[in-house]
Amino acid sequence: MFLYNFKYELKSLLRSKWLFLLSTILLIVMLFAGYNGKQKVNKRIEDFSKITAQTEERDAVMLHVLDSLEKGLEVNMSNNLLPNNPMNVGYRYPKVAALQPKPLTFISVGQSDLFTHTVQPKIYGDNFSYNYSELSSPVQLLFGSFDIAFVIIYILPLIIIAFSYNILSKEKEYGSIKLLASQPISIYSWLLQKVTFRFFWLTLITSVVLLITFIINGFDFGDNMGAFLSLIMITTAYILFWFAIVLAINIFIGNSAKNAVSLLGIWVFVILIIPATVSQLANLAYPIPSRTKMLAEVRNVKKEIAEKQDKILDNYLRDHPEYASTGKEINYSFWHRYIASQNLAEAELKPLLASYTEQIENQQSWIENWQYISPAVIVQQSFNNLAGTSSAHYQEYKKQVVAFSVKWKDFFTPLLYKSQPFRKKMYKNLPMFEYQQPKIASMTFNAFIILFFSALILTFSWLFFNKKSEKGTLIN
Amino acid sequence: MIKTTNLTKKYGDFIALKNLNLEIKQGEIFCLLGANGAGKSTTINLLLNFIAPTSGQAFINDTDVVKNAKKTKSFLTYIPENLMLYPTLSAVENLDYFLGIGGGKFYKPELEAFLEEAGLQKEAHHKRIQFFSKGMRQKVGIALAIAKDAKVLLLDEPTSGLDPKSSNEFGELLKKMRKNNVAILMATHDIFRAKEIGTHIGIMKQGELKHSFATDQISLQDLEKLYLETMNLNEV
Amino acid sequence: MIFQIIKKEVQEILRDGRFKISFFIVLFLLVASVFITSKQYSSINEQYDSAEKNERTVWESQGAKNPHSAAHFGNYVFKPKLPLSLLDQGVDKYTGISIFLEAHNRNQAQYSTATDQTALSRFGELTPDFILFFIIPLIIILVGYNSFTKEIEGRTFYIIKSQGVDGWKLVIGKWIAALIPTLIITTLLFLIAGIILSNIKGFGVFSWSSFGILYLIYLIYYFIFTNVILLISSISKKSGIALVSSLTFWVLACFIAPKIASNIADSKYPYPTQQEFSENIAKEKSEGLDGHNPWNQKSKELEEKVLKEHNVNSVNDLPFNYSAYRMQKSEEYQAEIYAKHYKKLKNQFKKQSSIYKTLAVISPFLPARFLSMSIANTDYQSHINFSDAAEDYRIKTQAFLNGNTEKNSKIGERYVASADTWKDLPRFEYTPASLSEKLNENTSNFVILFLWFSVTGGLLFLTNKNY
Repeated sequence: MFLYNFKYELKSLLRSKWLFLLSTILLIVMLFAGYNGKQKVNKRIEDFSKITAQTEERDAVMLHVLDSLEKGLEVNMSNNLLPNNPMNVGYRYPKVAALQPKPLTFISVGQSDLFTHTVQPKIYGDNFSYNYSELSSPVQLLFGSFDIAFVIIYILPLIIIAFSYNILSKEKEYGSIKLLASQPISIYSWLLQKVTFRFFWLTLITSVVLLITFIINGFDFGDNMGAFLSLIMITTAYILFWFAIVLAINIFIGNSAKNAVSLLGIWVFVILIIPATVSQLANLAYPIPSRTKMLAEVRNVKKEIAEKQDKILDNYLRDHPEYASTGKEINYSFWHRYIASQNLAEAELKPLLASYTEQIENQQSWIENWQYISPAVIVQQSFNNLAGTSSAHYQEYKKQVVAFSVKWKDFFTPLLYKSQPFRKKMYKNLPMFEYQQPKIASMTFNAFIILFFSALILTFSWLFFNKKSEKGTLIN
Repeated sequence: MIKTTNLTKKYGDFIALKNLNLEIKQGEIFCLLGANGAGKSTTINLLLNFIAPTSGQAFINDTDVVKNAKKTKSFLTYIPENLMLYPTLSAVENLDYFLGIGGGKFYKPELEAFLEEAGLQKEAHHKRIQFFSKGMRQKVGIALAIAKDAKVLLLDEPTSGLDPKSSNEFGELLKKMRKNNVAILMATHDIFRAKEIGTHIGIMKQGELKHSFATDQISLQDLEKLYLETMNLNEV
Repeated sequence: MIFQIIKKEVQEILRDGRFKISFFIVLFLLVASVFITSKQYSSINEQYDSAEKNERTVWESQGAKNPHSAAHFGNYVFKPKLPLSLLDQGVDKYTGISIFLEAHNRNQAQYSTATDQTALSRFGELTPDFILFFIIPLIIILVGYNSFTKEIEGRTFYIIKSQGVDGWKLVIGKWIAALIPTLIITTLLFLIAGIILSNIKGFGVFSWSSFGILYLIYLIYYFIFTNVILLISSISKKSGIALVSSLTFWVLACFIAPKIASNIADSKYPYPTQQEFSENIAKEKSEGLDGHNPWNQKSKELEEKVLKEHNVNSVNDLPFNYSAYRMQKSEEYQAEIYAKHYKKLKNQFKKQSSIYKTLAVISPFLPARFLSMSIANTDYQSHINFSDAAEDYRIKTQAFLNGNTEKNSKIGERYVASADTWKDLPRFEYTPASLSEKLNENTSNFVILFLWFSVTGGLLFLTNKNY
């Protein structure tokens, strides 16, 4: 039966032009999505190299000036900007803390359109005030991006539904099911095979289309084969999930129009309503602390500490440390007080800010656990993780930037306390930022969960089937 | 070949079939007559195990249709009232598919020979089914029975909607099948055709087999009279 | 005759189990979303109120200090949540909620809700606009996809035709019938929203005419959908094909077109990155007047000019505090730089808007969405208006503070303003654009929407010749 089903399913698919139509649509859509993703990644890389080049150029000038200073030569730079002052290096020659794209970043925009990917922590100012949000039109954020993740999560299920919503009901409405059922075969395994072939073909087409898209986008398969295979694995599991649903609905309902409507209802539920509900419930379980309230509290703290800070350092210089040094000599005692007043502010704000971060992290980890309620959410999270554009990646980035900023400050403060100038040889010891990828849920585990959903649905469909054949409502 | 003992099907309080005892031997054509809802299709559906009996048993080739559903299906061929085949496939391909999924393997010349034996003209063998008339599709169904070497043929209203010529052709085909020692059960409204090709006739009403006799025991006029009388009891 | 048609269609719809289930699910979702949104709305507004009060108290109780220090202490302004956001949240989630106003720098609005949420929220949220824009069209599809095809499949079409019915009457009847469930749901939603809004006192400005226009926009959107779905049904041969085509239209109009538009807009008219943007501004600022640096080239030019104007030799002889004067000039200069760069952003968005309008050809969703956000004052333009108002206020605040120093102190003096100075700074006021302004901004969107309506309507009547 297997071979015959395979052969004739393929024949009738080819004759109805379905395979051709499907492959073409999928290829066009995927290529467009891949192109969009790649463009965004290219822009990110371009922005990064631009800013790195700028930094390097600036640093070269600084090293040259330092060299001259150390040799006792005249330099063409105003006194208050000289790089032998550690504070000037810490403020005017910051390093770039960048979040570099991963090889798979182009598959999913994820949260990357919300956040900036280059921050330059400086020695002045508090960590609280870094702006991590990217400049973009909110309309774009609202509509989202047409990326590969969108094609797979939203469009692929619709193709499956349009392609197979009537896989059994058609036979029933047309009448051929009677002839089939009078053959010495089990209708369930016949149907299962039919669905399996379609699943097989769609997976094959999708994989080939993805492969083409990846090749066109210059993906390095040698180094990133694992990531590519993970993507294919998750996608395959997701396709299987939708075919399982299609099978179950065909058995459960058995009228083409009703099938289509029910499948669409399921699509809306799995992809739109469940994520929205989980999101809403997360707000109930761990309400995101109001930023408005936080700002009010920060203001109260800042006002209180201002008085304490005044005792350490005059408020004018606190606001404008860049004007502290006017002469050639470095005013070390000023900087001691500046850093003391900064530390005071930081220390006072820390518990308040920490409580907000904690609440947000609580909510995010809650959602992390609830993602398993809908395969669409699992797939989205998996893709974002593969692409390095998940919320966790950016949360981690913020944390690491703050840590780097502390490291940056800590590099210069000892120099100030020891009243030492910044020297050329110290340059290579300056802290550098390197992003450490956060731990992400295993792709195999995620795929396994989706498979579990499919298995559950298939079991139910088997039970329905038996019940229906007992009643005899499957054929008549 | 076909045998039922006290076969009964109830849907709640409604009795679709009541204690049917039927035996059709090889080479017999049994025509079931009766109004809509008399239980003709229920009988066929029970024999096909499309529905499960409430009580009683049915056998095909001495095999219980419920306990060994798959095995019994390998003995029979079923042609529903409106035999639908896959429209984009040709006659040969449809035949190949239905035989194939049941485990049979035939070469193209063999398949063509079956179709020919079933009376489908050669030009149509490789045409798509979507262009076929009902009569032509039924010939494909008969070819299926020939290929399977079916011992039992179950026919549900095969002649309804056929033009007289096709209907006649179909009758001749059944007679031929009968000579091949096939047991045929045919549900029909067509008294004339039943009398002409059937070896036995049964008249059903409200799930019960009211009369059953060999065709040669009765003239067409008497048959019609008996049929109408049986039906009219309804109104009493 | 039309009444008979409507009656029969409605009976058919009502007897359809699918419809009943979907209708109640949608109704439930709608009630849940209105409930959730209105709770959020009132809690956000309470927080807004108390934050604003707190901010003013903090500002007024700074104590005696130098005005420029007060300028650095700065103040936060908060964006109010407007009443109609209850119906359409628009881009609210993606725009910052508050702006820090300080000397020398124009800051962007910070802390958008989206940046605090996980990627999950990008799937969509259970808000009334989500249901109004995405789910209700599905109801129209569900009710209307087989409007004509069922007559052909059930062969009833021949009987209808043999009764001599006018084609257009049949179309009108089916059109009205297909809209009835949608009208009921939408009207119910607006009724609930109206009751909630008229019971919230003291928050924002709520205008019934905006509310009415919003209702109208959704109705037109649904009329267009009904036109398209019936059109598809009347030219399709089978219900299945009609259903699949209708759903394709829905996905294309509501999901794919906006995303494609957003991608094209982004690649054709990109925004600078945050880093580039601030780098460019910093560069221009460093080339200009620096309020703190008297040795800067531009500072020297200003000094010469002022001395000449007042006919004195030294800044010490000027009748006002020259350093505060210079500070104010520098603020004004920098504000201009900011205005220039923000204007570039706005222009970029204007160009992007033209892409959205072009793609409205394949999607009536786009103009409807823009109109609805705009009337609800939750569109990008409203956010721009708010941030411009905040910038105006920042400039005024700086002028107020620098003016205070300029008037009351001498150059070189360590001036401390009295503790009650800060009360004299007027409060920040932000009035959202009025309905007529919004309508003027959106004439093209109205035109596009109307074109959609008339073209699809016209086609529907033309194709009914077959009936």
